[in-house]
Amino acid sequence: MIALYVVAAIAVFAAIRAIIEKNTGRKLPYANVLNFAVAGALVLLLDHPLSLVAAAAYFVGSTLESNAIASTYAGGVKR
Amino acid sequence: MLGEILHILAAAIISWILFVTVDIFFKLPETGGVSGASAIARDIEAGGGALAGGTMMGNIVCSPDASAGTLLAACGVYVAGIPGGLAAALMVFIGNRICHDPGYAGTTGAVLATFVVYAFTLVGFAATDFIAGMVIAILTIQGLSHTHASRLLARLWRVRQ
Amino acid sequence: MIAGLEVAFGLIALAGAVSAALIRDSYGKLISLGILVAGVLPFIVDRGYLDVAVTVSLIAPIATIFVLMVARREES
Repeated sequence: MIALYVVAAIAVFAAIRAIIEKNTGRKLPYANVLNFAVAGALVLLLDHPLSLVAAAAYFVGSTLESNAIASTYAGGVKR
Repeated sequence: MLGEILHILAAAIISWILFVTVDIFFKLPETGGVSGASAIARDIEAGGGALAGGTMMGNIVCSPDASAGTLLAACGVYVAGIPGGLAAALMVFIGNRICHDPGYAGTTGAVLATFVVYAFTLVGFAATDFIAGMVIAILTIQGLSHTHASRLLARLWRVRQ
Repeated sequence: MIAGLEVAFGLIALAGAVSAALIRDSYGKLISLGILVAGVLPFIVDRGYLDVAVTVSLIAPIATIFVLMVARREES
């Protein structure tokens, strides 16, 4: 039960840090911490084999999203 | 109550050592795997950090590496024991290929972490301790201070070289 | 779910929505949308709708990629 509280507290902290930070390149690592915390919270909330699939799908999807944002950001800076 | 908090802190230290070792062994600080990773590294360096550590942090953001493998393997061991951990390793491998990453750091980390977490569940730890510990470990790398974390990773990378 | 956790994840979803409305930068807006999805997903999983959660977590990044393609075309 304490593990769930720790994960939720870290999620709130990472979300606030990600919103306050101005630079896009330094925003993305904070959003990554939020993704880790939410993927852990999904499994801790519901103990079922499919919740592992849900956590993995969420994690891979959000990593792909960060990857796309960072790649477009890199291309936009070069031009 | 107090014992569980101590277990979570010990699990955080163990998983920190595990994923940093695997990532540095697979040479993540050397080059950015995708172009987004080098953009993040440039921004972290502009904020006062070191370039090698920033590249490794960009790689962690842009592709599921050993840290993601450790988290999902702990989740898999919590849900279904060792088969769950190996299924998580398979999903990390698919996620690596989806994100255009040719490396094997995530898969290796997940398989290693499955056995490490299972061994620690035999001596009194719960798998939930490792889930919370891995989130704390990634917080210390990516969430507290990018400047200090990237300098620490760059120092470890020089030791590896 | 426990009340404290509902407050925590609801706070994340609300903060993502408000910041997506207020931030001017287009990349910052997309990251705020990601934060909004991250806050909503635990509520779906808590009710037991795991298939809905898998679908949402796969559709959200695809929507972001489409928006990025449109934004890149308008920039160049």
